[in-house]
Amino acid sequence: MQASRRRFLKTSAAATAASFAATPLLAAPGKKYRTAIIGAGWWGMNILRDAMAHGQCKVVGICDVSEQTREVSAEEITDLNGDQPRKYNDFREMLGKEKPEIVIIATPDHWHALPAIAAIEAGAHVFLEKPTAHTVEESRAILNAARSAKRVVQVGLHRRIGPHHVEAMKFLKSGKVGKVGQVRLFVTGGGGKEEPTPNSPAPVGLDWDLWCGPAPKRPFNRRLHPGGWRHFLDYANGTLGDWGVHWLDQITWWSDEKSPKRVFSSGGRPVRGAAVNDGEAMTSDTPDSQVAIYDYEDFTVTWEHRRFAMNATEHHRYGAYFYGTEGILHIGWRDGWTFYPAKKNGMKAHGDPRFDNERDGHNLPPLWADFMKAIADPKHTPAADIEPAHRSSVLPMLGMISYRLGRSLQWDGDKEQILKDQEANQLLRRDYRNPWISPKV
Amino acid sequence: MIRKLLPLLLAPLWLAAEDWPHFRGPQHDGISREKNWLTDWSETGPKRLWEAQVGIGFSSMAVAEGRLYTLGHNEGADTLYCLDAKTGRKQWSYSWLSNIGAKFYIGGPGSTPTVTDGRVYVAGKWGEVSCLVPHPKNAGEGQVLWARHLAKEDQVRVPTWGFNGSPLVLGDRLLLNAGSAGVALDLKTGKTLWKSADGEAGYATPQPVMLGGQPHVIVSSGRAYSAVKVADGQEAWSLRWFTRYGVNAADAIVDGDQVFVGSGYRKGCGLYKIGAELTEVWKNKNLSTQMNAAVKIGDHLYGFDGDSGGPGKLRCVSWKTGEVVWEHATGFGALTAADDRLIVLTGTGALMTAPATPKGFKPSGRTRVLDKDCWTAPVLAKGLLYCRNSKGHLVCLDLRRGQ
Repeated sequence: MQASRRRFLKTSAAATAASFAATPLLAAPGKKYRTAIIGAGWWGMNILRDAMAHGQCKVVGICDVSEQTREVSAEEITDLNGDQPRKYNDFREMLGKEKPEIVIIATPDHWHALPAIAAIEAGAHVFLEKPTAHTVEESRAILNAARSAKRVVQVGLHRRIGPHHVEAMKFLKSGKVGKVGQVRLFVTGGGGKEEPTPNSPAPVGLDWDLWCGPAPKRPFNRRLHPGGWRHFLDYANGTLGDWGVHWLDQITWWSDEKSPKRVFSSGGRPVRGAAVNDGEAMTSDTPDSQVAIYDYEDFTVTWEHRRFAMNATEHHRYGAYFYGTEGILHIGWRDGWTFYPAKKNGMKAHGDPRFDNERDGHNLPPLWADFMKAIADPKHTPAADIEPAHRSSVLPMLGMISYRLGRSLQWDGDKEQILKDQEANQLLRRDYRNPWISPKV
Repeated sequence: MIRKLLPLLLAPLWLAAEDWPHFRGPQHDGISREKNWLTDWSETGPKRLWEAQVGIGFSSMAVAEGRLYTLGHNEGADTLYCLDAKTGRKQWSYSWLSNIGAKFYIGGPGSTPTVTDGRVYVAGKWGEVSCLVPHPKNAGEGQVLWARHLAKEDQVRVPTWGFNGSPLVLGDRLLLNAGSAGVALDLKTGKTLWKSADGEAGYATPQPVMLGGQPHVIVSSGRAYSAVKVADGQEAWSLRWFTRYGVNAADAIVDGDQVFVGSGYRKGCGLYKIGAELTEVWKNKNLSTQMNAAVKIGDHLYGFDGDSGGPGKLRCVSWKTGEVVWEHATGFGALTAADDRLIVLTGTGALMTAPATPKGFKPSGRTRVLDKDCWTAPVLAKGLLYCRNSKGHLVCLDLRRGQ
């Protein structure tokens, strides 16, 4: 009985899938997808709210290692549309019990690979926050899992679909900037010395061991959670891995070249001060200033971030300058895009940004709609598909490896190997903390 | 049966009604009883009587017997400043080593000193609690009558943004928002009389309330607003109130047998009838008071809806129904009230005064007093208005008539 019933379910599931494939555009317009979220903090809820507003989600599960976050977010979901998601501390339990069709992942970087792969293998389509992962190997494993299970994985690189980026990219590709030989990417801000923050007991209701998960287990410190983890190399890749991936992705989006040939990065903490982690207190440990050079065949890309001094000598604080024979194209954030012609009598051009969310300055709603389109129509490649998103996410990872080793890396983008440097290749992956097992490629 | 803790316990303060001896003022409601102050401001605004630098932080001002008290952080230390309220001249100060606690904000102390009978009670960010007087011999210094450290001595858990509730004096004890639902110290000695169970404190100041003829305080944690008995900490009721990041920072507002609570981060607000348990009268998202509580005047609440850094709105909300009566796009800010008027300081430093009325927001005075970030409510005492920003720029404006 059991066996035949199972076979029946399998068959009917296959039949359903087949009928979707046959009539992709008619794929259940009113269908509500069983949706779950892993990491339901500030950004995760930004995604989920827009997903709910799109109208095809039934939120069935909410997973977070903080009870506080689970409770608050679950209540908000209920307030928004009446859905009553069940609350989970452990994503494995949630995936097993809820069988979601869509999973949103908005955990810290070190917690991307295992939940993403588990969700894909459980049959879900995944909306994965950027960067794809913490290490190159993890990122590749997610990509491989997505392809072998034929699941859609959209990465939260909303700058691929934001109207002013689309407009600027069209302008760039039209040739109006001329032959581009150099690109400069940058993020600047203010800041000063960082005082160590004393370690403290983990908050009540926070599963700190699970928060650290496969990464090294540090003592709890309020600088790490909530928020703050991006500036700890155990869990993320600093500003280059945060802002950097957005701007580096504009290169991946624009260029026909899939990967740089050579990467070098340098930087440090001249202003924040030496990193502290002495068992009593800690500071962050990512660089407060960093430059990275990405040598492509046809052009050179530089990355530059500075978390002090601001940038008053220039028009812009963030973004990408594409230097072409006809002038400079700036693609920015709240300042939209602007073309500064090389010739004195040339025509300046500009486009204002149009955000779906003014406060946080993003365009998640169209990215979500595009994700849903790709789920319904297998012929539609999602705007921030896992494959290019993987290649973009690898760039900050390589930058951080060069920064750590203090030498340049020869990168073979096809094999995803650093040439003639075994020590550097070791840093494309890392061993997980027991009992977690790193995904195999 | 249930009424606000008024004349009996607070009798000494009522006699000096023009003083503002602790957070939210003599009646713990953000409302001063001063009348006849200057409400028509010229273009240049009221006269600036004096300015001072009091260090980084969000501590508001306590004013008693001609002295102003506030806290601020400078280079690794927090300081209690005592200034002459009329001239701004420094009287004395007392400093202790402290982490600034910057995290998604500039940091610095957030509690306000409480002054009673010439003694100043200070709750530090990391669990330091002390009782001070001016030093009898060393001019310019403070003398510590007693000092405690709740985190080190009583193992009270420090919440994410440190302790920010102000100390409350009730009878012979000092009530603090620490642990899951408060801690009580002996006012004279600082000795711990009781402490609540382990938990993350919220950031509001204990709010006095009489329940069943017994003094209680309403204390916020990261997950609830609870009423506990002043005598022994026993819980009378607890309202489950989970807010993102545990930021239950706005004081509860009690009127008769009803209590209002509101929190930011889209949490919203609610009005509850107090009984053996709380029963919901209404709950909505109309007044998400992130840090400073609203003020209740007549049948309406006036306060800021929304979070710092976002598109905050000054709103008038009906106490009875929770409906928004009017709103004004001021951005985030803080306010106080006196003589049925609002005194509003926006996050970017614009100061306004307008009648507190459900008919609308019509400022009769408007002036720019400070730069951002102003998250601290202005304080009116003896015709002088005190405003500060996060960097510790403190301004005293003269609102006395005929000056």
